Amino acid sequence: MFPWVDGFHWTFGHILFLSLFFAVVLVITATLISAVNRTVKNLRTQSAAELCWKSDFTELPDTERHCRHEIAGRVASRMCDNAFDCRRCAKYADFAALPAAGMAHDLGLKYSNDRFYHRGHTWLQPNEDGTLTVGLDELAEHLVGKPDSIRMPAIGERIETNGTAWRMTKNGNEIRVRAPIEGEVVETGGPASGWYLKIRPQLDPADPVTLRHLLRGAEVRWWLSRELERLQLQLRTPNTAPSLADGGVLVNDMMDAIPEADWNNVLASTFLEA
Amino acid sequence: MASAALADRRWIARSEERSSLGRFLLWLAPWALLLAAGVYAGGLCLWFGLNQTNMDNRFAFGLWIFLDLSIIALGAGAFFTGFLVYILKRAELKPILNTAVVVGFICYSGAVTILGIDVGQPLRSWFTFWHPNTHSMLTEVTFCITCYLAVLSLEYVPILLRNRELRKLPSFLIFEHQLHKLVPVLAAVGTFLSFFHQGSLGGLYGVLRGRPFAFREGFLIWPSTFFLFILSAIAAGPSFLMLITAAVEKVTGKHLVAEDVYRRLGLISGTLLGVYVAAKSIDTLIWLNVTSAAAGVAPWRYYEYKPFGTPLLFIEIVLLGLLPAFLLTFRKTASRRGWLLSAAALACGGVLINRFVMTVQTLALPTLPFDEFLTYTPSWQEVASFGGVIGYGVILYSLSYRYLPLFAKPKGDQSHVSLG
Amino acid sequence: MSARYGMVIDLDRCTGCGSCMVACASENNVPSLPQASDRTGLTPMLVRRISNGKQDESRREAFVPILCMQCEHETPCVSVCPQQAVEVDKATGIVMQMPQRCLGCRYCMTACPYHARYFNWWDPAWPAGMEKSLSPGVAVRMRGVVEKCNLCHGRLHSAQEKAAGAGKREIDPADYVPACVEACPTGAIRFGNLADDNDPVSQETHSPEAFRLLARIGTEPKVFYKSKEPWVRALADGSGAEVKRG
Repeated sequence: MFPWVDGFHWTFGHILFLSLFFAVVLVITATLISAVNRTVKNLRTQSAAELCWKSDFTELPDTERHCRHEIAGRVASRMCDNAFDCRRCAKYADFAALPAAGMAHDLGLKYSNDRFYHRGHTWLQPNEDGTLTVGLDELAEHLVGKPDSIRMPAIGERIETNGTAWRMTKNGNEIRVRAPIEGEVVETGGPASGWYLKIRPQLDPADPVTLRHLLRGAEVRWWLSRELERLQLQLRTPNTAPSLADGGVLVNDMMDAIPEADWNNVLASTFLEA
Repeated sequence: MASAALADRRWIARSEERSSLGRFLLWLAPWALLLAAGVYAGGLCLWFGLNQTNMDNRFAFGLWIFLDLSIIALGAGAFFTGFLVYILKRAELKPILNTAVVVGFICYSGAVTILGIDVGQPLRSWFTFWHPNTHSMLTEVTFCITCYLAVLSLEYVPILLRNRELRKLPSFLIFEHQLHKLVPVLAAVGTFLSFFHQGSLGGLYGVLRGRPFAFREGFLIWPSTFFLFILSAIAAGPSFLMLITAAVEKVTGKHLVAEDVYRRLGLISGTLLGVYVAAKSIDTLIWLNVTSAAAGVAPWRYYEYKPFGTPLLFIEIVLLGLLPAFLLTFRKTASRRGWLLSAAALACGGVLINRFVMTVQTLALPTLPFDEFLTYTPSWQEVASFGGVIGYGVILYSLSYRYLPLFAKPKGDQSHVSLG
Repeated sequence: MSARYGMVIDLDRCTGCGSCMVACASENNVPSLPQASDRTGLTPMLVRRISNGKQDESRREAFVPILCMQCEHETPCVSVCPQQAVEVDKATGIVMQMPQRCLGCRYCMTACPYHARYFNWWDPAWPAGMEKSLSPGVAVRMRGVVEKCNLCHGRLHSAQEKAAGAGKREIDPADYVPACVEACPTGAIRFGNLADDNDPVSQETHSPEAFRLLARIGTEPKVFYKSKEPWVRALADGSGAEVKRG
């Protein structure tokens, strides 16, 4: 195999064969090392969260990848092909120009017009000092109720859009709440004041593109309406038809109220887990 | 048990439906038994020696070598599909790609395991690398198959890491993404390696000057069997994938792959099979009339011995070669699933017969004029060892199907999501 | 000067007594394997019986000792061994098998048209006490490796040691006689250096009665056979239509 090993012959065939072999081994090893290197680099820089999200997005079922413009009634039917990254969507401007015409019922849920909503059920509210407050929306709060444990990020920690805002557990289920925006954590809420994050954003909130990917105004109602329909389907007992009682109010702490439901699936849909 | 079922559910992709844990374990049970029997038989051979088999000094190669060659030929679908998808950019075969990788991995890892038991001194396996004989086809096979198994493992890893729970670790998910980007490199290396080892497996027999039945002339150092084996392998590989996929659809009761994919695989397999049959026929004629005569053996002498008479040649080339090639490409039959799968089975059978003829029939035929035609029947240890490989294969595939996105439906057009 | 050791085996003189087989087994520490069959036994020297197939008074029989033919041209076993455990010794022309390097893949056994190679299907074992009778100069082979006749290389070593002890470069040919040659009672097996034109065995190989097995395959064996019987000489090119086993 090597020149100093007994049986090595300096013939053309021998040299050619071993050269090819070592070349192949080199290519295979280089591929592996390259992949490892790039992974380490990704993990060190900020691209890790973005890559993970994009990969997770491709695994989401069709029902969770509808384009916001479809929800807003601007277009009849469209699946998002850009991982909800409206900020860098080439077609955003075209769709946004179309008139909106959504449909929704009265939901019995609170949502406010000055908040921006992420598809993973968190809201974002800009503060006067330039920071942003992030909290769990009503639907998610009603679902989870009081979490068994919660792990907030540390002050000064950096979070990424679609990455992890904070983690909770409830009834043996692990929930990862996705962050609606990237930035540095400056303050975290507690059990007394409610669970929230205050973030110093990386990009300027005044720039319309910064929050473009978040839902606001009327489209939040239309989106929540669809989400409630989805919940109804997922929570019903098997073999019964879905029903939506008019004017029904969401029960508090549904995970405790309906323990037998397929929470694995419901939570994955709600919090955009693959 | 309920909590076990819940824990198990977390490992299954949430948009997929799979049978309950209990039913799955029930499905695995007989294959696990088969695997256990195989491990026991293989263990006996390793512990007591190869006298546990029925091989002897005349049949130095037996059932294992025949089945190893067959399984490697059938596993050629892995490299060939990779070649078609990544090098020739035939994206319509993407749905079958993951299955091809898993099947390839099973075939090659199984073959290597059996080879480890087949040699008298398995711990000396590294000697071939340390003292390679570049004149020997077996050296080439050893080097190539080892490298290729490494390539298949690296191609398997991304599929593994896309598991629902494993992907939650960011390092795993990112590594999967980065490795997946480099898969075309692996596909190219895999194609190069497979070309050579599929060929060298044929070359093993084609260079045997002392066995006029197997010996062939060829191109430079490569006998014609080198090229014929490559052709038959890439013809049978897609057919084998078709059979596996159809079997999986039958067992799971799901529609996993578009009908179009079957047709395409059939067309590829049938066309290549047709080319192979033509080449093989020409080669057989040359061998019978020129090569064999030069060694002093009149051609009909080989076929004097029952049951290896000329019908076997006819079966190999016409019944299990020309016929499936026709059925797989002729529009009327190729458009019907039943015909397609039957033809695929015939094609795979043809490759098996070819490997059998080259390994077992070669050794059965006498070389010295005072030798006899001998037969051999494999011992139960030999059969059980290979049964163990089948058990292992079904278990690994079942686990992959249950927990990994083998047949992920294309969710929107993935190519639009720019992965940075 | 390098030698080319070969043999001429006179089939007209071979009585089929089997002394050569016994001597070979004894010299080369071949284990007694009561569990072996005629297809799994270790017989680096094996005497085969042939006949002309007739059943009446015209029936003729002969015995053919088969051993490694020491092929010279594109030696089949040498070219196929994946880890170069076999090679042709340039100094002696002997096809050397290294059991320590053998992987036991048995590819060489497939390649050898003379079936002169044997596999150790079992661990070597001798009846209690018999291990004291083993030849000291010959290594015992382990289970799982291939072995074959190597022209009693142990005896060549002894001859070389003796020559070196006497300060000579070349061995005395009388000192190097393989066990089968020594044991043959009729002198049917004759051994010599085919590179030496003065060697009587070398000269015999040119006799019109001399032939080699499967000559048309082109392995150029250094073991020649000799017979005046035409039906025996028909063995040469393998067509031997008249030749039958047993």
